[in-house]
Amino acid sequence: MTRLGTLLRGSVLAFALTATTPALAETTLVVAVEADFSRMDPAASRTWNTFKVVRHIFEGFVEEDLTKGGDAVPEIVPALATSWEISEDGKSYTFKLREGVTFHDGTPWNAEAAKFNMDRMTNPDFEYFVPTAPGLLSWVFMDLAGYEVVDEYTFRIDLKQPNAEFLRRLSAGGSGAPRMVSPEAVKQFGNDGIEDNPIGTGPFKFVERVVGEKVVITKNEAYWNPDRMPKTDTIVLRGIPEVATRELALMAGEVDIIGTPSPDSIETLQGQGAKIVTGKSPMFYVLWINTKDPHFSDVRVRQAVCMAINREDMAKFQRKGFAVPTWGILNPGGPGYDPAFRDCEYDPEGAKALLAEAGFPDGFETRMDWTFGGGSDVNTKGDAEWLQRDLEKIGIRASIEMFDNNTFWDMMTAGMREGTGLTSASWGESTFAWLDQVVTTTALPQNCCNSGYYENPLMDQLLSEARASATQEELDAKLHEVRDIVAKDMAFTSYYAANSVYATGPTVTGFVLAPQHWIDLTGVAKE
Amino acid sequence: MHLALFTLGRLGSAIPVLIGVTVVVFLSVQLVPGDIALSILGRMATQEQLAALRESMGLDRPLIVQYGRWFAALLQGDIGVSLAQQLPVAQILVPKIWNSLILMAGSLFLVLTIGFGLAVISAPRFRSLTDRIVVALTLVFASLPVFWLGIILLYFLAFKLKLFPISGMYDVVGGGGFWDLIHHLILPASVTAASSIAVVARVTRSRMIDVLNEPYILAAKARGLTRRQIVLRHAVRNSLATFASIGGLQIGYLFGGVVFTEIIFNWPGIGMQLYDAILARDIPMIQGCVLVVAVVFVLGNLMSDVVVRALDPKGS
Repeated sequence: MTRLGTLLRGSVLAFALTATTPALAETTLVVAVEADFSRMDPAASRTWNTFKVVRHIFEGFVEEDLTKGGDAVPEIVPALATSWEISEDGKSYTFKLREGVTFHDGTPWNAEAAKFNMDRMTNPDFEYFVPTAPGLLSWVFMDLAGYEVVDEYTFRIDLKQPNAEFLRRLSAGGSGAPRMVSPEAVKQFGNDGIEDNPIGTGPFKFVERVVGEKVVITKNEAYWNPDRMPKTDTIVLRGIPEVATRELALMAGEVDIIGTPSPDSIETLQGQGAKIVTGKSPMFYVLWINTKDPHFSDVRVRQAVCMAINREDMAKFQRKGFAVPTWGILNPGGPGYDPAFRDCEYDPEGAKALLAEAGFPDGFETRMDWTFGGGSDVNTKGDAEWLQRDLEKIGIRASIEMFDNNTFWDMMTAGMREGTGLTSASWGESTFAWLDQVVTTTALPQNCCNSGYYENPLMDQLLSEARASATQEELDAKLHEVRDIVAKDMAFTSYYAANSVYATGPTVTGFVLAPQHWIDLTGVAKE
Repeated sequence: MHLALFTLGRLGSAIPVLIGVTVVVFLSVQLVPGDIALSILGRMATQEQLAALRESMGLDRPLIVQYGRWFAALLQGDIGVSLAQQLPVAQILVPKIWNSLILMAGSLFLVLTIGFGLAVISAPRFRSLTDRIVVALTLVFASLPVFWLGIILLYFLAFKLKLFPISGMYDVVGGGGFWDLIHHLILPASVTAASSIAVVARVTRSRMIDVLNEPYILAAKARGLTRRQIVLRHAVRNSLATFASIGGLQIGYLFGGVVFTEIIFNWPGIGMQLYDAILARDIPMIQGCVLVVAVVFVLGNLMSDVVVRALDPKGS
């Protein structure tokens, strides 16, 4: 027994000694986000987390400037195009391309490379066409009419109708990303080979990926933009889905930056010397109301729901202040957002009166179908329980059923089931592309995700007109029309927008958050 | 010769089991609600795009045809292409299987050494204080849920005392090498091993107690052998078959158990992969993972059968 004990103790000690790992190279940064990444090929990649990697390796004609942080909607800045001209009718974009830029494999960037990529994303007859690209990228290229090489450094894209958000959408990602891949790399490795050889023009070059473990990117010494020259040599990005493990890894110094710590852990993390970085996010929580449900088909009942929710307290207590209350269908950080807008006021007594007027003086029973969410969602079950309590106060007795995210979105595509009155999920983007997916008649079941059967053809028309707006003011005005009609019909409302919350180690500098779902790591360093 | 025949026979009887496993794996995934095409193309896709993809993937064909194609490909080592990563499932899984096998081997090592050690310590001291402590200890080991024990050990040994790393298999920065691996391996291997240690210790102990009550042990005592000699020469040797049998059974159990451990410790093995695949609804990947776990289970049992047969003095 004693001999065994000595042996065990000895080996533990030996391991503890060898445990003193080699000093971290000062220029390597480890970032842990909430989930592993999807595909590295921008034409096939999905999820906001994946775009956090993709946008550092690949670039498009234009880029959002996320290096400054702050609350303002990120500015659109030149990237692989130095300037652009938009025709009088708003249907033709002529890009002057940046000269002297090469992909990481040395392939030159020019109009031919641009055409190669446009073909790859949109032309089914092209040899290197990516079959999933049109589906993923329809929010960008829905109005595409054609494109043409004008000369070596001039490229034109024509649209069927003006699209006021075209540049903004060209700079975004998450469901596909309209970014440029080295044509030579595609020819050499094939479309599938881009997964292991993602070669772009961005500030970081791809080093290696171990699926389920990490993606390693390293500084592109030849990067064209001195303002975004990486301050760190190597960045390791990991997906750690378990939030407690993510937080422990940060506190133990195994990672330098983590996404979405639990609001309950903020104080502990700060006590350990971690820095908390918060920013606005376009992500807000939308409430779908089932307009076909026998109770909720009456607009007064839907209004009563809106009035029953104490959004201020919800943001303050449910998210520990890392959220702002929201009303209506336009999200912070997106076009047309007005923080003063209200689709209803918090008024439980008034809500009760409305219910009685609608024929439900004693309230009624209903069901809420809810998702545990994914990515940066935090304790959505707590949200559901909060709403359940608020609704109970006006007499609506709701049961809650929780689903995993995939099942939930399948159910959303099928439309809310019988007996379900309310459902909710996080959405919201810096463009209004997502509204086409939620409020229009083309998004009615079996399409995603007008899941509460809100049938109003005016939505399709107004959103199409909004896209065709000549100016931002015109666009905002159209979106306000959409917002006000939805509010009057009370088919959807929202309750809060979560802030982006990251925690970094004590020595990390230069990490900022702009109001976007993704981040810029070029300015981040470790002292 | 007899052993070789026996092994061949067992291998033969494993084949229908494995085919059965493929049917179950294929069908169980069909029961999962949801649309694979939608998972690939995302919420922005139109009905036409979805239909086109379903057709190109053969998802519109009858189940039996889909199974036939899947099984035919499987025989050629092609488990399919991961929907989430667009890489061959086999290419992603092979390193993961290896990682899980390392974790399992580490656990098995602990199970066999500690389990056997506890039995050798306690059985000859039947009903003594030592024996009672060992029995109580195994009861505790057997009752601790993996996820609870994992988090407790993480918190105290890795986070508070900083004896071990929090997650992963190697240090992400500047890591690598055998000792780095062992350092990362100790906690997850111990957690996975805990309940199996208890099982092996208890079964081996009771077998050894039976052996120690045999008349030939009394005879040995009469010949003046010391307790140490009796235990090492007689009790251990005659308990080996039982030990091998119960130890072998743990192979499959441990490989299934690493699924939970891997998620807690972020160990990049088959369990972590399965977890990611389920979250992403990556059907071919889920099938691949479940298949691998099932195959290792079957092969592990087969291996232990062969070892037991080889050790059994009455066998051949």
